[in-house]
This record gives sequence, structure tokens and C-alpha cells, in this order.
Amino acid sequence: MKQENPFAQLRPDSRVGIVGIPPLAVIGRLNSLGAHIHDLDEPQVNTDMEVTAPFLPRVYCAILRTAVLNALHLELDMIVIDVGPGKCDCALHVSTVLQDMLNIPVIRTRNEDDVPFGHPLCETRMSLLEKFKRITAGVQSAAPYQPEKFPPCKPTAGFWGVPPRDFSLLTLFPDTTHIYGWTRCMENKTPADVELEEIFNADVPTIFFAQSFCAKTALAKFLAAKHPRGLFLDVDVTCSSSTQAKIQAFLELSGVDHASR
Amino acid sequence: MLLADFGTSYCKFRELSESVGHPYLIATKDLPKNLRVDLATGHNGKRFSDRYVNELTALARGGEELIAAPDYVLLDCGSRDIKYVSYRHGKLADMGWNSECGASMGFTIELLEKYYNLDYDTLAVPDRTFSITCGVLGMSHIFDAVTSGISEAEAVARFVKGIALNAYRFSGSPDTLYLSGGLCDNPLFVGSFPCNIITLGRYVLIKGLEKTAREHLSIAL
Repeated sequence: MKQENPFAQLRPDSRVGIVGIPPLAVIGRLNSLGAHIHDLDEPQVNTDMEVTAPFLPRVYCAILRTAVLNALHLELDMIVIDVGPGKCDCALHVSTVLQDMLNIPVIRTRNEDDVPFGHPLCETRMSLLEKFKRITAGVQSAAPYQPEKFPPCKPTAGFWGVPPRDFSLLTLFPDTTHIYGWTRCMENKTPADVELEEIFNADVPTIFFAQSFCAKTALAKFLAAKHPRGLFLDVDVTCSSSTQAKIQAFLELSGVDHASR
Repeated sequence: MLLADFGTSYCKFRELSESVGHPYLIATKDLPKNLRVDLATGHNGKRFSDRYVNELTALARGGEELIAAPDYVLLDCGSRDIKYVSYRHGKLADMGWNSECGASMGFTIELLEKYYNLDYDTLAVPDRTFSITCGVLGMSHIFDAVTSGISEAEAVARFVKGIALNAYRFSGSPDTLYLSGGLCDNPLFVGSFPCNIITLGRYVLIKGLEKTAREHLSIAL
């Protein structure tokens, strides 16, 4: 960080964009200052991704392209972008682009938090879409969980990986899908916990998902090959009909029941 | 009960209620507009039926009906895309569906035969090939080769071999490959694979629909 206290200039109601998962202390500080946090990793503006082409290559992580797209359109007072082992080198380089592109402070953090918060949502019975919405929304808060509200269920399928750019693919899974990989680390508030990230359940058919052009595709493909009923899947910006069919066929042929299909 | 596999170039049908229900073929461009079927697959299938089975599922179930081996790779080469299922110990182990970089392979092969007035039954498998990952983009290799003095027949044969090699690698480079789709009838394409090929013909997905009708819709056959 360039300044000793980069948050001193923030007023209550300041609009702060975050990329990745900044350390809990930073989130707690933003909360205490009353800042409005905008998760730039998620689609927040209805604008063509092509707008980012002058700043990032088209063949690049769709999550970070989305972050740049959001940053171009939301009137932010500051961006906090995690560039440590809990995120990726791409984010480090994107922070340079954002700093050059915008006339606001771009604060780089390295989240190495190692206090586990638990991951009750990952293992509870709830639509997979809703679980992901809650987990990603949880990044904006430093408050402890109430795990008794989300008792674990017996899994029938697994989803390993990062939150996808296109959440629509999550609707293809049953409510009893357990979440593994970096999303589990996300809920646990330990995004750099590689050991936790590598855990999967060999007893349930599992999709190993990564965004196209993300370094995590290597880990997803590696673990899918280790899993007795694993399928590696990468998706760029949106989930095509053939990708949806692939997920449906995999679950169906693996004997996973899903009432909505 | 009418089953149908609605492909990009050809649609395959089978009427289950007929005593000898041989499957039959209609060119997609000749389909009646008001056609309705009882159970459909294929990328056009949802337009013609209320009951739809996705293509990978239909392919896998067709393979389960037609292949006795517990371990196998079954590849379907269509007009528009290629897809495969891989089974180990009688269970699904892997699958893939390539509708972008493997696009328009079968369609391009048929188009080239007509345009250059060739007969794939008479073309020998060439020693050399082009590196091809897409039917559309791969055509520039043909134009470049013809410009350099190579015969049109040789250039197209190299193109077809390149497509076969790409499909082979896409399906995991197995020692034996079960092949589904209209290209089973193309000896140049079949002979271009560097592995043992067992052709199953055009009606594998229809066979998969039969299995779906019997086991999942409780229809007696």
C-alpha cells in the first residue's frame, strides 16, 4: 500500500469496489466506516464486455474482465483488489491496469487470513444458486456465521471450483450439491488455503469447474482426473447450450436425481 | 411413438409402433414445418417435441445398447459438432462436446465433396495431413494447397484426414474408437483415424432414445 492509511480519506457512504477477497481486517474497516461495498467480480452493469477490449485482451479471465467492466461504469471512490495467494497473478496485473485507467485509489492487498470461519452453506440443503449468492455476498461482511441455521445434508453431487461468471449453470444441480474448492475457501474466509481448496468428495459425482483462461483450470483438470466420477468443465463468459447439456448429461448418467430437469 | 434425432443436415426417425420399425432419414431442409414427434434429441429437437433428451445422454444410452465392452470410447461426428462419451467398467468416465473449435466438420466434408465433384469412396487416405481444429477455418489449407499445385482431390483428402485426427485427439486418443454418425459411411474419413475404428452408423442416438422410452418413460418395446 502506498499510503500509511489509505482509508482515511473515505467518508461514510463512500463507494468501494472489491476484487477477490480482501483480508477480513480490511472488510471490517470498510464496514465500520459505513462504506458501500460493490463486488466487482460479479456482473453489475448490463453492458457489452467488448467495452473492456481496449484495456484487457479478449482472451482473458471473464471474472477480471467483468471487474474492469464494472469499474468503468460504477462511480467508485476506491478499489481494493486482492493480489495475494488467495487470488492470482492476473489480478495483480489487472490492478496496474485499473490504477492507470481510473482516477481513484486502487489498493492492493494480500489476503493470507488463516482463521477458519467454517463453511456451513457449502454443505447445507439449498438451491446451489442461492448458496453461491449467499457465499459471494458474505465477502462484504466480517460478521461471524450462525452455522446452526444451515445444518449439513447428505450430498448427492459436488461442485468444485470458483463462483462462475455465469450463475445460470448452477440451476442445473440438485439442492443436495455440496460445494468444494475455492468457493469453500471463500466461505471459510481463508482464500489462500490450498489444502482446503484441493479437498473433494470421491463418493459423489463432481463437476470440477474453472473459468476459461484461469490458472485454476490446471488444478480443476488434475483433480477431475483423480476423482472416480469427476468431469472437468471450463466456461468463459456465458454457459453455452452444449455446456449446459454436458452438465445435465453428466449428472443424469451418473444417477443424480434432479427434479427440475 | 415417433422418435427423432434432429441433426443439422439430416434428421433420423424411428416409429416404435410399427412391427418392423426400420429407422429412416430425412434431410433437415426438407422437414415438414408442422412436424411433431413424441421424443426428440439433437440440437433442433426442442422445436419439434415436448419431450427432449439431450444429445450426450442419447449418445451414451445408445452406446450402452450397442456396445458390449465395459471399457470404450464412443465418438459422434455430426455436421455441426463432435461429442464423445468414455466408459470404464461399464460406467461413465468422461465426456466432451465440442461445438466451437470442432465446428462444422461433417457439414464441411459433405460440402467439399459436392463442390469439387469428388467421390470419397475412391479417394485414398493420404500420407500427409493438415493441422485442423475447425471445418470452416481449415478450408484455407485447401485453398493454399491447390494454389501451390496440389490436386483438389489430394488437398481435400488431407483436410479430411486432419479432421479425423482432430476428432481422435479430442476423444482422448484411444486404441479403439466406436464411431457414430453419417461419416461412418465415408471410407476416407474412417480410414484416416490412426486407431482401430468400429462404425455404428447414423442411428446410435435413435437407439439411445429407444432406451430412454423403454427404461425412463416405461414404454413397452
